[in-house]
Amino acid sequence: MKLKKLFTCVASFMLAVALVGCGGSSSGSTDSTGGEVAVFWYTFGDTYLSSVRSAMNATFDEKGIKYQDYDANASQTTQTEQITTAISKGASCLVVNIVDASSDDATQAIINLAKDANLPVVFFNRSVSEEIVSAYDKAAYVGTDYTQAGHMEGQMAGQFILENYDKLDINGDGKITYVMFKGQEGNMEADARTQYGVEDANKVLTEGGKPELEFYDSSNSSKYLLDMNGTWSAQQGQELMQTALSKFNEGNKNMIEVVIANNDDMALGAIAALQNSGYNTGDGRYIPVFGVDATDAAKAAIKDGSMTGTIKQDAAGMANAVVQIAENLTNNKGTFDGIDAANVVGTWRVNIPYSAYAGE
Amino acid sequence: MKKLDALKAMNPEDRKRAIGDFLMNNAMFIIIAVTIIYIWIRVPSFLSITSIINIINLTAAKLPIALGVGGCIILAGTDISAGRQVGLAACISAGLQLTVNKLFPGLGVMPIPVALLAVIVTGSIIGLVNGFCMAQFKVHPFIVTLSTQLIVYGVILMFLQLGTNGGQTLSGMSEGYRNFISGTLFTVGTAKVPMYVLYSVIITAIVWVIWNKTAFGKNMFAVGSNEDAANVSGVNVKKTIILVFIMAGILYAITGFIDAARIASVNATTGLNYEADAIAACVIGGISFVGGIGKVSGAIIGVLLLQVIFVGLNFLSVDANLLYIVKGLIILVACCIDMRKYLVRK
Repeated sequence: MKLKKLFTCVASFMLAVALVGCGGSSSGSTDSTGGEVAVFWYTFGDTYLSSVRSAMNATFDEKGIKYQDYDANASQTTQTEQITTAISKGASCLVVNIVDASSDDATQAIINLAKDANLPVVFFNRSVSEEIVSAYDKAAYVGTDYTQAGHMEGQMAGQFILENYDKLDINGDGKITYVMFKGQEGNMEADARTQYGVEDANKVLTEGGKPELEFYDSSNSSKYLLDMNGTWSAQQGQELMQTALSKFNEGNKNMIEVVIANNDDMALGAIAALQNSGYNTGDGRYIPVFGVDATDAAKAAIKDGSMTGTIKQDAAGMANAVVQIAENLTNNKGTFDGIDAANVVGTWRVNIPYSAYAGE
Repeated sequence: MKKLDALKAMNPEDRKRAIGDFLMNNAMFIIIAVTIIYIWIRVPSFLSITSIINIINLTAAKLPIALGVGGCIILAGTDISAGRQVGLAACISAGLQLTVNKLFPGLGVMPIPVALLAVIVTGSIIGLVNGFCMAQFKVHPFIVTLSTQLIVYGVILMFLQLGTNGGQTLSGMSEGYRNFISGTLFTVGTAKVPMYVLYSVIITAIVWVIWNKTAFGKNMFAVGSNEDAANVSGVNVKKTIILVFIMAGILYAITGFIDAARIASVNATTGLNYEADAIAACVIGGISFVGGIGKVSGAIIGVLLLQVIFVGLNFLSVDANLLYIVKGLIILVACCIDMRKYLVRK
């Protein structure tokens, strides 16, 4: 009995120590008495968002602005609750990477919370509707033109294929077969990349006098392979590619000749499967692979020659714009002061441009 | 043959029941066979060498985690921290095998046994915590692993923030490590069987021996079917529970160790929801949530069936949405059959 009590004491002591320890190390700001910028992240688990987060935290530190990061872990409920908590704690500005990008209600709910507390709110990365954001004068959105990445990826792929057409046409039938990896259903960016990634490549090819790309599996009417878990993951990229290669390969004279993926993780997964089948290892047998995001891993793959190209989302550019706008709104300056006017759309949003990346 | 004679000797009603029981008891084999034949008729290349090898490769990669979860289920428990544990192991083994290491700047590629040992030790510790909390405080496995799953995810996120990595995907692992896992074991025609299939076979054999031929294995089944009875008959229940979870932790660690090189890029979502498939595979294979019932072969069948469906629906070019429905139905049917068997026995 005594032993049990002792154990309980020790356990609660340890918990207390752990909590105190956590309090001290909370994301860069030691003093958490309020007046800070509260940043709400869709999920800490996302590679691209992690690079935005690193850049944003660094910018906050540089400018001496206090901030607090929250992880919604892909749940809108969690995020909305975090926002009410942060407001009650006395946040000076809300920076929101909204979870439910397709729901105007979620956006409206957050704007209402901000309005009631008379706080500025900056949305970023995950898209929100114009009419809701522009209805509140202390709200703004920093995003990307989400269709642009797909267009650029398609043009990049089309250009590359056009230049290397005969080399890429492995079975010599005069047509190039492709596979498209889609990261998630019901996501506007995934839809746009899946559509324009191929359409724009076809445009380049037809202008160059070549036939359009053909999906490798003619009986698949959706014309893409999907990450069943909706996580745009390398694991699904690898397994889907490996499975496709077990039916479509050079032995069967129906090899997939180009890989276009919605993001770099899926592209890297596909490369792992290709490499296991003896492609893209540097000894000549090469299937071009395109992605989006320009993660460090993808850049490294492009450098060592196993990947062809990717589209860069400017993480630091996005972080800087968000911090600048948050600062402007908190200090009652013009919303877009200090932002490149070329990127400002109307009175409500800034678009951070993408750029193609095929090695330095 | 003897059985067939016995069947003929029965009166019609008994015969009916015997046939019904036979069909019930082997329902999963029948479902697999029917599925395979159906897909094969629609798409003959489904049973080409390359395709069969592909299914074997996929099955091999997912077998260790299923066997780990299987042990926990036999204890009438479960383990929902499995996926995150795989993720952590994948991060650690990738982190020790990067050619340009941003997590630990200056650290070169570590020898493969060091990476393997590191993940096994990590897995054992998490398993120990899981098992200890269950054995000592009688906390339900679901709650314990729900908690550890969160803790492990936090550790993964922190691990990926180490050095100058900033949460980025880990990629660019050493050639030696990738060859150790994905290098060619042998080829059949043009189809390559990678090394990890061999490891998976070895691990499965070891688990089979542990489950069936050791005192610990027998204790595991005893504790699973009736903890009190096992306790009274002199089984060290606490030790058994802890050891089962340590074994599970090690099996997840090995899954992660294999996955890091197999997928060749690792990030915070690696391993997410793996446990769902592993638990489903066990249940499909007749490892019962009632406790104390299950076979290694069951786990293999379960994993195999899930992979056959995954590959099959891809070959059939079916809408991916349908896969969820098919999977859900199969798990449900499997559980119903399983419970029916149990009720009959009761």
